[in-house]
Amino acid sequence: MNRKLLCLLPAAAVIFYTVKAGAGTPTPPAGSTISGKVTYTGTPPKMKPIDMSKEPTCAKQHATPVMTENVTTGPDSSLQYVVVYISEGDSGGAVPSESVRYDQRGCQYLPHVLPMQAGQVLQIFNDDQTSHNIHPLAKVNPEWNKSQPAGSLPIDTKYDKPEFIPVKCNIHPWMHGYFVVLNTSHYAVTGQDGSFSLKGLGAGKYTVTAWQEQYGTQTQDVTIGAGETKTANFTFKALPY
Amino acid sequence: MKTKIAIITMTVGVALLYAAQLPSGSAQESHVGTLTGNAASGKQFYKRYCIGCHGPSGDGQGENAPWIDPKPRDFTAATFKCRSTPTGTLPTDEDLDNAVTRGFVTTNMPSWNPLTPQQRADLVAYIKTFSPRWKTDKPGIPIHIPPETPVTIQSVLHGRELFQKMECWKCHGPAGHGDGPSAATLTDSKDQPIRPYNFSTGSRFKCGETNRDLYRIFMTGLDGTPMPSFADVIQPNDAWDLVHFLRTMQTMQTPDIALWKKYSSEHASEIKPIGPDAGSGGN
Amino acid sequence: MPRRFPIGATALRWSLISAFCVACLLFLAAFNRNAPTAQAAPLPGVHVKAIPAFARKYGLPCSACHTAWPELNNFGQVFRDNGYQLGNERDSPIWQNPSYFPITFRITPQWHRESTDNLAIDSIPGGGPGSTLVAGKVQQNGFDLSGMDLWSAGTLYKNISFVLLPSSDQNASWHFESAWVRFDNIKGSSWFNLKFGKFELDNLISEKRFLFLSGNGGIYQSYHYDVPGTTNDFGYGDNQLGVELAGHSKNSYTRYSVSVLSSNDGNPGFVSGFGTPANRGYDVNLAFSQAFNAGSLGLQRIGAFAYIGERPTYFETSTTPDGSGGTTTLQLVGLGNKPFYRAGVAGDLFLKKLELLPLFMYGHDNPYLGAGISSTSALPPGAKPPAWAGGFLEGHYYVNTQNVFFARVERIDVSQQPFVNAGFPTDYGNVRAYSFGYRWYPIMFSRAGLALHSEYSIVKSNGFLPLSGDGSGVQVFSTANPVWSSSVMLGFDFDF
Repeated sequence: MNRKLLCLLPAAAVIFYTVKAGAGTPTPPAGSTISGKVTYTGTPPKMKPIDMSKEPTCAKQHATPVMTENVTTGPDSSLQYVVVYISEGDSGGAVPSESVRYDQRGCQYLPHVLPMQAGQVLQIFNDDQTSHNIHPLAKVNPEWNKSQPAGSLPIDTKYDKPEFIPVKCNIHPWMHGYFVVLNTSHYAVTGQDGSFSLKGLGAGKYTVTAWQEQYGTQTQDVTIGAGETKTANFTFKALPY
Repeated sequence: MKTKIAIITMTVGVALLYAAQLPSGSAQESHVGTLTGNAASGKQFYKRYCIGCHGPSGDGQGENAPWIDPKPRDFTAATFKCRSTPTGTLPTDEDLDNAVTRGFVTTNMPSWNPLTPQQRADLVAYIKTFSPRWKTDKPGIPIHIPPETPVTIQSVLHGRELFQKMECWKCHGPAGHGDGPSAATLTDSKDQPIRPYNFSTGSRFKCGETNRDLYRIFMTGLDGTPMPSFADVIQPNDAWDLVHFLRTMQTMQTPDIALWKKYSSEHASEIKPIGPDAGSGGN
Repeated sequence: MPRRFPIGATALRWSLISAFCVACLLFLAAFNRNAPTAQAAPLPGVHVKAIPAFARKYGLPCSACHTAWPELNNFGQVFRDNGYQLGNERDSPIWQNPSYFPITFRITPQWHRESTDNLAIDSIPGGGPGSTLVAGKVQQNGFDLSGMDLWSAGTLYKNISFVLLPSSDQNASWHFESAWVRFDNIKGSSWFNLKFGKFELDNLISEKRFLFLSGNGGIYQSYHYDVPGTTNDFGYGDNQLGVELAGHSKNSYTRYSVSVLSSNDGNPGFVSGFGTPANRGYDVNLAFSQAFNAGSLGLQRIGAFAYIGERPTYFETSTTPDGSGGTTTLQLVGLGNKPFYRAGVAGDLFLKKLELLPLFMYGHDNPYLGAGISSTSALPPGAKPPAWAGGFLEGHYYVNTQNVFFARVERIDVSQQPFVNAGFPTDYGNVRAYSFGYRWYPIMFSRAGLALHSEYSIVKSNGFLPLSGDGSGVQVFSTANPVWSSSVMLGFDFDF
């Protein structure tokens, strides 16, 4: 009885390490995809127009006032600016050599929500004729605050730890944005139609997380085979405040 | 005989008491000057002096915190206003010791100068135990401050141009009274309302009172507040010019203000007011 | 040969009871070590100082300024030296939050037991026929109140500070313990501060802010001692009336004080300590101390002081018929001033959590004061200047901010009696005093203070009534024997 168990040990070890390795190594491009749509039920708050009269150089860039963006909706009850990403099941992958770009234009942050990988270079540009101070309110990563006058060079930086970081400009209090620092390379931000698509996944079991800045996170477990496309939709309950 | 026994007992007792207090060796240390501070000793000083405002867990939620403005520092965030190191980096032990020794004027943080230097070094060591960042990150490298340039009217005027160009007036106001267009909506990193420094209120800043201290304030930024670092956008010698101009907005007698007063009385018509540029359809 | 210690059965029983009570308190304290932190025995004229109103104003816990209230640490000493100002531009009362009101009170309800022997007691209670005076012991115990301090202190304006301290005994009989105004940081310098009014002398070891509260332990014998028989009423621990120029370095490591005081031991209304008219004289007090930073041991302070004063030896009088055949003599003004002095050294030493407070003091009175005769007469034969040397060693052990043990050993030796060969034993007038106790502060917040106080104290005064004790006014039976007086006290010292 004991000897049989002993024989099982090396087998178990092999299986264990294979599974572990298999989960870690990017499977040869079988190209599975998880896609879906993020929608809401209930009544979301009305977005308000932003008064930029304190900064005339920005106000004149907008024919109609810019709206606040904390709950941005689209046709068919879709939610924009939702970050959908693989939170479990993905080994992460190497840090891409390309940088991501964040713009301050018309006294707005473009894009409103910017996902990036931990360790990836982030370049911040000031395209306006006014100074901005870029103040990402990180709690896990270091919090810093730099002035970026009109016409100055872009700021290069990076974040080493995953975190959802609100970004603000103290000079222009209506400017709000987010850096979403993730450990995975499989992420997407929903557009106006609320749809997202996570491509290039290998077969396996994944946990997909959707994050909206006001409504928090929701998760779903998705198991896909090689070359499969599966759908994962998220629905957030919206309240009017 | 009885006296002898009494004396021996007392001596042994005192020695035992003393030995019982020797620190058992702590993970966290600080180095301030030639002193080494010890967190285990610092803990008892913290409980005696600091706990009422900064709280037992060092998160600024002390018993008195709800009635204090500005709020006591949250040590768990490892974000500090007064540093010699770049924005986003940890301060040096000397920075922390200076903050404790100097106190923060116009706040409830007193000057702890009456404590001995060793006690303050021990406190610095203990403060560093509140955040895990002290274990993973090293303090930043203090910024290089070149020798101060001479105080001349050209320096003051150039500093004035910088004040305009860097748009300091947007928060601090054209005369440095803390009444700029963005001043009323400022909040710190904990969403508490905060006012920018009003240069006409006194000779001391929260982070010191010398020209060097003033240099460091805007070249490292005050982390945790709206005040950013200008290290990437102002050259070191230009920074001294800005320091000289900033002094003219205060009320003490300084060489800077003497030069400025003389210049402004002789060239009043040439001085452009600080504020939105005329060309951009100002307020 | 006088006994060294009364190891009688009664004394042993009471020692055991007090030890048991102290042990109970320790037991309670041990269970409450992590209790929420934020977080006036009927002493002959001694009242003490801790003011939670300051804690409420600045948001600091009591322990920030006090080693164990009421005793100050160096941070609290700097605050006091600066005229109750922290110097952070939040000192003006307009910054106070509504919970700050610059007044505080302190009182200590307690149980205590006082016992004094060698007193002249009637052999038959009631003093009926056949009763003689014998040496007996008077012992009393029960629940009691201390006096109360109603203390207001703070700033009237930037760099003008004040104290007003009306104080009552346990029967609500009021007097002014302290009342002064001080001009602080004159010409912007911490070296010049001028105080005017009635105040405690700038003693390094303050009797007003010490940890002892019992009948016998609650005074420093050396601070009130005068050689028995002298007509000097001076007590170094008594608050005095006058003006003080004092100064300190920014961190109070160096401190000095020079005071000019009226020669009436601080009694208002031109009255002396005996109730007789005061003289027109002025005394001078000098005090200086220097602190040294001893690294991890803590701050060490040593100092020296000298008090030079004068007291009257006779009175200007007016003798008039009293309307029933005799005359009455009114005393008007003290005259014939003769000098005396006190001088000493003291220290405040820290070995981390152990604080040691040594003091050595020497007192010398003019022989006219010792003889109690007018300076216009010749000194009687055998009259000598009364002199004494004394001191104490006190220790405090601060377990943490909320638990402190304290003890004191004190002795006074008369080095010169007022008269030679007056028939008194050579050790007549000597004093030995021993006290120890424990204080537990169950709460240590910024709002108010509470301490459970337990103390035992015993004083041996050779042939005269102790300065402390129950003050029952009974006479000593035999001046050849010591008077043993002991106090046991358990009280709740609270301070709002």
